Amino acid sequence: MGRTVSRIVLWLMAALVLGPVVWTIINAFKLNVDLLTPTPKLFFNPIIDNVTYVLGRPSVLQGLINSLVICISSVAIGVVFGLPTAYAVARYPNRWTEEIQFFVLSLRFMPPVAVAIPLMLIWLGIGLYDSQIALIITYSLLTISITVWLAIPGFQRVPKEIEEAARVDGYDAYAVFFRVALPVAMRTLLGALAFSFVLVWNEFLMALMLTTSSAKTLPIVASEMSQLGMNVPWGILNAAVVLLSLPPLLLLGLLSGFMNSIFSNKSR
Amino acid sequence: MKQRQALPYTFILPTFVVLAILAFVPTIYAVIISLQDRTLSAPGADFVWFKNYLQLFGDRRFLNALWVSLKWEVITVTATMAVAIVLGILMFDATGPRMRNTLTLIFLIPVLLPRVCAAFVWKFAFHPLYGLVTYPYRALTGKTLDLLADPNAAIFAIAFVDVWQWGFFFAVIILKLLEALPPQPLEAARLDHAKGWQIHYFVSLPMLRTALISLVFVKMIESLRSFDLVYVMTRGGPGVSTETLDMYAFSQGFIESGKISYASSMAVIMMIVTLVGFTLLWKKVK
Repeated sequence: MGRTVSRIVLWLMAALVLGPVVWTIINAFKLNVDLLTPTPKLFFNPIIDNVTYVLGRPSVLQGLINSLVICISSVAIGVVFGLPTAYAVARYPNRWTEEIQFFVLSLRFMPPVAVAIPLMLIWLGIGLYDSQIALIITYSLLTISITVWLAIPGFQRVPKEIEEAARVDGYDAYAVFFRVALPVAMRTLLGALAFSFVLVWNEFLMALMLTTSSAKTLPIVASEMSQLGMNVPWGILNAAVVLLSLPPLLLLGLLSGFMNSIFSNKSR
Repeated sequence: MKQRQALPYTFILPTFVVLAILAFVPTIYAVIISLQDRTLSAPGADFVWFKNYLQLFGDRRFLNALWVSLKWEVITVTATMAVAIVLGILMFDATGPRMRNTLTLIFLIPVLLPRVCAAFVWKFAFHPLYGLVTYPYRALTGKTLDLLADPNAAIFAIAFVDVWQWGFFFAVIILKLLEALPPQPLEAARLDHAKGWQIHYFVSLPMLRTALISLVFVKMIESLRSFDLVYVMTRGGPGVSTETLDMYAFSQGFIESGKISYASSMAVIMMIVTLVGFTLLWKKVK
């Protein structure tokens, strides 16, 4: 009995998650006439115009390119600096590594506004304001720190015996990292990178303060569409929201796998 | 052998230096700006030392923003944890492997959505004339219901979206934590005829104490990032009823008067409070 009730509650909750998402996707294919109705309309004449309008707008294309360039670059910087550090913390723990872990975590305590105002003046001062490079460097702080944090458990799960065996075979410490630990932990690490990507893809406040036109990322472009005046083109807005949400959702499988391996029993 | 001793340094030191530059340069500069009288319109700046800070404590809108932020933290952290614990336990107790996997995937969706998107999706759902959420109310009473324009309800409507994003995500984490527990203590409790909820209240949740406290900690940090939701849904309105600290700092610096020094002094206070507060909390938890 209790089990059935529990299951019904859980399915209702799943509906609470999927309902609004599906509704937004449906609305992306509606004209304003079908969208702005006192009674929500399930049956209507679907149109593709919103989607083609959004994809055809130069500002959206520009935002998409900016977002992709900025996110991929900053995630890559996060990999280059974050993974070796995470490995060192995981495999060579000493009294410093705990302090370093805390330092990396404490970077997350900083309110984004506090960082964004001075950064705006700095980038203005050296002529890099509203550029992709400025945002890539700014976001590197986020990607490096989250990569360190999420990759530590990934490296800890690599069986020590494998690394010992490689050492016996004559691998030096760096070769053990590059040719053994890295490939073995790869699956978990990909999940960590996916989290890092989603984090910067979704970032809004700093992008809002550090860009005005040429380096605007997709979240900013999408949010500006809602301020197009009194005649809000709701269908177009829905289409933009769907486009903006697609990349993180495409990573869903990878992220769920990451959660499974991180929280599975440590004794593996 | 020498290499093994050198590795931690070559792997940690460069990263540490990069992070330190990226973090300390802006923070120190933020403090300097907060002691000046910079505005967006004028290029020059003079030092006014603590004038901005003194002015802040006479600024009723700032005190209001402090209060709103505090309310926001309490509402979102407690609601997220409550939702997550209940749903996590329900999944653990009542589902088989297949349903569990499906739900895990579904429950991860909200947190992955850009906050701007989540805010927009729900803003439209709360729309008084056309919204999906307000539809039953319209149909039953014939009146309109504008949650986001109600000074008392607006903050809860925004908090709902925050909990929608984080509660389901944390539910999945709590499910994974429950799955990773050793089964023997739960089995023993069951043999002692403990009921479902008793088992969790007396056995499994206490075993997860440290993990749950860490989750509360993470949520407290993430709740500080309310800006995206507030900016899209209400812009701090109606009036100042949903104006959190970062929203107020942003509007002082960028929307209304361009007083970036004043905004920066607010941001510095936020930074000091969160750094000191969270560091103390973290050390205590450890």
